[in-house]
Amino acid sequence: MPEQWIYWFSELGTEHNDIVGKKCANLGELTKAGFHVPPGYALGVAAYERFMKETGASERVLKYLEGFHADPENVEDTPKYETASKEIRAIVESIDMPPDMEETVKKYYSQLCEETGIENQFVATRSAGPASHPGQYETYLNVSGPDDVVQHIKRVWSSTFNTRSIIARARLGLPLHHDPIGVAVLTMVDAKAAGVILTVNPVNGDESKVAIEAAFGFGEAVVSGNVTPDRYLVDKVTLEIEEKVISDKGAEFVYNPETREMEYKELPADKRKLPCLEDIEILELTKIAKKIEAHFGCLQDIEFSVSMSLPFPENIFFVQARPESVWGKKKKESVLGKKSGFELLFEKATTPIKLKTD
Amino acid sequence: MAEKRQFPFAEEVVLPPELEGWEEMYPPQRLFSEDRAEWEKKHFWYQDKIHAPEPMYPLDDIFQEAWQIALSQFTTRVFCIPPAQGIAQRMFGCYMYICAIEPPPGEVIQQKAELFEKRVPYTFQNYLKQFEVWLERFQKLGKDMQQLHVPEELPDFVPEEEVIPIPKGTTDAYDLIESFNTIINMIFKAWQYHFQYLNLAYLAYLMFVDTARKLFPGIKESTIGKMVAGAEVSMFRPEEELCRLSRLAAAKSSVKEILKGDASAADKMNALKNTDEGREWLEELEKVKDPWFFVSCGSGWYHYEGSWINKMDVPFSYLQSYINRLEKGEKIERNLNEISEERERLVSEYKALIKSDDDRKSFEDAYNVVRSIYRYAEDHLFWVEHWLHTIWFEKIRQFGNILTKYDLLQQADDIYLFNRFEIPMLLEDLATAWACGVGVPARGPYWKKKADKRRKILEAARKWNPVPALGVPPEEVSEPFTLMLWGVTTDKVDEWLKGSTEVDTDVTEIKGFASSAGVAEGPARVLKMLGDVVDLKPGEIMVAPSTNPSWAPVFTKIKAAVTDIGGLTSHAAIVSREYGLPSVTGTGVATTVIKTGDIIRVDGSSGTVTIVKRA
Repeated sequence: MPEQWIYWFSELGTEHNDIVGKKCANLGELTKAGFHVPPGYALGVAAYERFMKETGASERVLKYLEGFHADPENVEDTPKYETASKEIRAIVESIDMPPDMEETVKKYYSQLCEETGIENQFVATRSAGPASHPGQYETYLNVSGPDDVVQHIKRVWSSTFNTRSIIARARLGLPLHHDPIGVAVLTMVDAKAAGVILTVNPVNGDESKVAIEAAFGFGEAVVSGNVTPDRYLVDKVTLEIEEKVISDKGAEFVYNPETREMEYKELPADKRKLPCLEDIEILELTKIAKKIEAHFGCLQDIEFSVSMSLPFPENIFFVQARPESVWGKKKKESVLGKKSGFELLFEKATTPIKLKTD
Repeated sequence: MAEKRQFPFAEEVVLPPELEGWEEMYPPQRLFSEDRAEWEKKHFWYQDKIHAPEPMYPLDDIFQEAWQIALSQFTTRVFCIPPAQGIAQRMFGCYMYICAIEPPPGEVIQQKAELFEKRVPYTFQNYLKQFEVWLERFQKLGKDMQQLHVPEELPDFVPEEEVIPIPKGTTDAYDLIESFNTIINMIFKAWQYHFQYLNLAYLAYLMFVDTARKLFPGIKESTIGKMVAGAEVSMFRPEEELCRLSRLAAAKSSVKEILKGDASAADKMNALKNTDEGREWLEELEKVKDPWFFVSCGSGWYHYEGSWINKMDVPFSYLQSYINRLEKGEKIERNLNEISEERERLVSEYKALIKSDDDRKSFEDAYNVVRSIYRYAEDHLFWVEHWLHTIWFEKIRQFGNILTKYDLLQQADDIYLFNRFEIPMLLEDLATAWACGVGVPARGPYWKKKADKRRKILEAARKWNPVPALGVPPEEVSEPFTLMLWGVTTDKVDEWLKGSTEVDTDVTEIKGFASSAGVAEGPARVLKMLGDVVDLKPGEIMVAPSTNPSWAPVFTKIKAAVTDIGGLTSHAAIVSREYGLPSVTGTGVATTVIKTGDIIRVDGSSGTVTIVKRA
């Protein structure tokens, strides 16, 4: 069997974590489990390795690094890293993929366009490290057309040489010239709203709640913290929306077809304080978040997008799911202290309620 | 708040001059006084809007007197809830104020803890068996009360058979005196029984709330309410019997047509007597009337509320609407299975969310403890406040009738203007005048004048807006009833301090308990008394002081419910949850602030009622 380096999401599962990176493996797992994930494919870490090796990119980077010396713990050396990053990235991005690789990537892309029925389908190219480095590498949205897709896959690869990443590797004593990651190529959802779901109330660790944060436009607005999102708190069991905090969302993160760039666009005054999700959508998100949590067997941190063009419930897409990192890690020790019902009753009967607050 | 938070003391409150002389209606031990001032001023008194939302008629006060003793003793002397003492009452300006008494000394808490640990678990473990005994005993008490002999008149001469072959030895005049003394003992006894398990049921509920909150800090009390509430409780039987009678009627066309009409209940019953089908149906009605129609049209606490049994127009109006709904093919019964399934689903899904095995076990155990006894909170209510009180009111009316007949009172219900210590005087006055022979006057004019004066005072008291609280707010509370029924919390006290006595009709939002989730918007219908229900139109939002089982059929017509009084376990809360109607209870002011026809929005998830548009 020849070494495989490209996969449809539906061919992947959590077990492929080291082969395609966490994000791709999770998207695959979600797809396979029947959750609504935008169609897409993944380039495994082997693709990165092949590209770097076969094209001589690795050698050229190593060569460049021979003359590079800087102290990652010294803030004053940061500009040195910035310069190195710029130059290394230029080297990597200027090199063509091996022809068969490029052909395969484009073939997968055209099949994706066929599946969605849209020519030059907009896709996102996202990095997927085997270990989680949230926010360290780069993501490109609204990539369209086969040549662009190829180019942006390379840009995601080259983002392993962004300043953040090389400083991080230098601090850990890891090789600077090599950091294999996977890349997810997934269909863009024309998001009217998007955001994050935690299957726990992040404020107090109440696991009977689902917390949703969402804003208009694409999810980056919420993840990056550039927009104050709406907050919804839903009970997992009663499915009651118990809290609704509608924020002044100011702007939305959207695609500007003229500049072909993503940008923050100010919302009109009458839309800023409107809830960005309808109750029916909040409840659907909650129900599916519960299923995702059940599927992975631990508290989840989920990203979602709501399409503006599709009807409910097909308009709800899941673009990421990973274990929740704060409460999920807390050791689950007993809060009731192994007490029997009567012991609890006695406790209640002997503890007066303090009324005065002043 | 830096300044001392406190309310005026009773003597600092200026009462309206029309209330002059109100004190004489109540026995001295129920009043604030100089001689107990030191103890009284150490405590925080607040108006009991749950049991005494209206000015207290002297005889209706008997239930309050009885519960002060009964509730308190089960906490302090029987089950011995360690730091808790009883609840004391004081009448003030015809309204009742209550306080949770400060904790006992440390060594007493110690002593009580030992007794509690032995007595309480035993009672829980044996509750089911014990409840059967309780019910049997209680029903016997009610039947005995029904049997009491209250003569309709005093004979010119006692009948022959009371003299020959052997004199009876006593007369109807004596029976009158004895029966009244007996009925007083009976009502006091009934209220002793009332609290046999209630303190423990509430304590268990509070314990379960704490347990659930430790595991799920954000769990709503309305959800906890759904977990512990029973579906098949006596409280709902009256309504279930109505549904059954409606179905029976719907299957007999002649009966159906009569019941669908707009005639009075009395006319309908007369018409039904004319056909076989009608007589059969009436027989069914007769079978269930006692106990299930012995249900108050109000809370059961006031003599003027009436019960189905003596206001048959009320159940008959429900029958009429049920039959109409059956014709439309609607389902009229509460779905008991659904309620039970939903309860089990809630419990098992929350349980599944608990990660620690130990905690899951503790949670289950806590749940079993509360479930084992909580039914009592729902069951006792029917038997005591509804069934037995209905019997009591019927009997007291008989005493009122005979006093009216001999001109000591203007009308039977005026008997309620005298307290339980005074009525024996009236009865003795009557017995004496009768015994002394023909043409001997009793003091009718004196009693009637007193009754008139008191009637006026009570009317004035009704117009007066009583202060919400008196004295210094407490540091802490551990008395289960105070926490559960009256919901006395720091927030509540603050709200009172802010002077919520002045009801502001400009307000557009009022807060209460989030009793049943969901949001509904629509026209309000303010129902001060159940009798107003005839005006209610389908799809309106009911705004009422409080509700009770006889109101149950109302819930099939409305979009949402709002009450002045009652927490998450109040009747309105429970029934709303069952019908899936949004409900906010215990707002304190809804019937004052909201007017019929206002468009209001009820958010039963947040406990907010918004006045969207004034009528």
